Amino acid sequence: MQKAYSNKKIIFTLVFPGLLMFTFAVLAPICLSVYYGFTDFSGLGKFNFIGFKNYQEMMKDKNFWMSLRNSVLLAAGFIVIQHPLAIITAALLDRMGRKAEGFFRCVYFLPNVISVAVIAYLWKFIYNPNFGLLNNIAKLFGFSGKTNWLGTGTAIWSVLIVLIWHGFGWGMLIYYTGIKNIDPVLYEAAAIDGADNKQTFLRITLPLMKPVIEVNVTLAVISALKQMETVYLLTAGGPGNETQFMANYLYKQAFSSFRYGYGNAISVIFVLICILATRLLSKVFPKEA
Amino acid sequence: MKGKKKKLTPARIVMWFVLLVFAVIQIFPLIWLLDFSFASNTEMFTRGLLIWPENIRWDNYVTAFVNGHFLLYLKNSLLINILAVILVLMISVMMAFACTRMHWKLSGTVRGLILLGMMIPIHATLLPNYIIYDKLHLTDTIWALLIPYVAFSLPQGLFLTGSFMESIPKEIEEAAVIDGCGIYRVIVVIMIPMLKTSLVTVSIMTFLNNWNEFMMASTYLSSPKWKTLPFSVLEFTGIYASNYSVQFAVMALTAAPMVILYLILNRHITEGVAMGAVKG
Repeated sequence: MQKAYSNKKIIFTLVFPGLLMFTFAVLAPICLSVYYGFTDFSGLGKFNFIGFKNYQEMMKDKNFWMSLRNSVLLAAGFIVIQHPLAIITAALLDRMGRKAEGFFRCVYFLPNVISVAVIAYLWKFIYNPNFGLLNNIAKLFGFSGKTNWLGTGTAIWSVLIVLIWHGFGWGMLIYYTGIKNIDPVLYEAAAIDGADNKQTFLRITLPLMKPVIEVNVTLAVISALKQMETVYLLTAGGPGNETQFMANYLYKQAFSSFRYGYGNAISVIFVLICILATRLLSKVFPKEA
Repeated sequence: MKGKKKKLTPARIVMWFVLLVFAVIQIFPLIWLLDFSFASNTEMFTRGLLIWPENIRWDNYVTAFVNGHFLLYLKNSLLINILAVILVLMISVMMAFACTRMHWKLSGTVRGLILLGMMIPIHATLLPNYIIYDKLHLTDTIWALLIPYVAFSLPQGLFLTGSFMESIPKEIEEAAVIDGCGIYRVIVVIMIPMLKTSLVTVSIMTFLNNWNEFMMASTYLSSPKWKTLPFSVLEFTGIYASNYSVQFAVMALTAAPMVILYLILNRHITEGVAMGAVKG
């Protein structure tokens, strides 16, 4: 039997297709990025090796730091606004009873199954100064309703709202599942001891949800770093580079500014930052199991 | 506490209110989208939140359906995503079996390498992959989407099937192997049926992630041949820049297949996502 389990030929056939595909589509391109990151390649024609110049430039590039700042802002928005609301909603939902729970869960998650392309353009229309939903709502409350939501100064907040809105159902669902996994006996014991709803939530639900919160916070930070598609369609990083994010910025550098080499250098740093952030978060939140 | 009939106490009214407010925030933009897709361009600029269209403008949808290449792009999306799911499932199970059951030196290294993929941002590969696919003449072919879709779904697939497989006792398949059953047959006949729940989760996550993807698609494709559903929306904003109601219609139309699928499979999808996310 040992022989069957260590048959090299069989192992090779099992592992090879996946490893080949992964190498071809993920690992090789990253190595290629490292290579092009050391060049001044424009995307066409010849190019020179320029050592670490791209990286030195990046350190001084305001837009690169703006992209990082925006990722930090977005992560903060997820953690400070989206997640507390999602936990509270999940805790309330848990008390609703079967039919209402199913209905609300279905509604909350619905935006997540809709393509980012649709979501981004839908919000572009919601923010539209002429017929947009948001200005029409503002008018109902007596405002002029002429705000340019995606203009200078407000754009980054408008982008954050879309992303917080879009991801709300996903976060809620995971917290809801976590709360459902809490043993109901604990709640009964708390009720017998005379704990009110608030105490039960703070003393039982929240502490037991710690592992779920940690997973969710990690996911939120990573997705804030990786953000691209919504911004690409909603603002393209503009006005100026106010709503720039790393992935969008490297794309823009390569395909609009024809600085393919520089774009690749940003790619390399982008990958490093994502790996570093994941590692760091797993150090901050060590797994008990 | 559970099972008891719930009375409408003030606390419960507040709960209902809070949950309804969030429901309205989540759903109202979508209702607004649907509403405006039936209106005419002039009606859009009236006051008020929703429009009661004088005539329901089905022609918006006709334009969206015909000029948005809806059927072609839907077919492409379905084909590419179903193939991607099948490939991810096959490769994940094969690799998971090799990494959790078989004895070989590099088992841990290979698994770790693939799992590293969960941290790597998809968009960091856009630039180099464009050059690679261009050189290999893969741009504008189905492979330009299928390969990266499968490769980027693989880490999560391997993670979920791998950790599920570890929780299955080895005795059953070992008995089969002693009786002379080959490894491939063990995987197909014994392993796959036991992995059912995690395979459903992997399928749902893979499908959801790739169905909505358009960044790679718009980088690696230029002809309509393999373009996927999001392109109906992307192309319309250029062609019908000032015809807003048609743009609303194309957005509602391209969202429809997934929304319908979601409403039918609601339970399975939310449970699959919850399981995939908590574990992953």
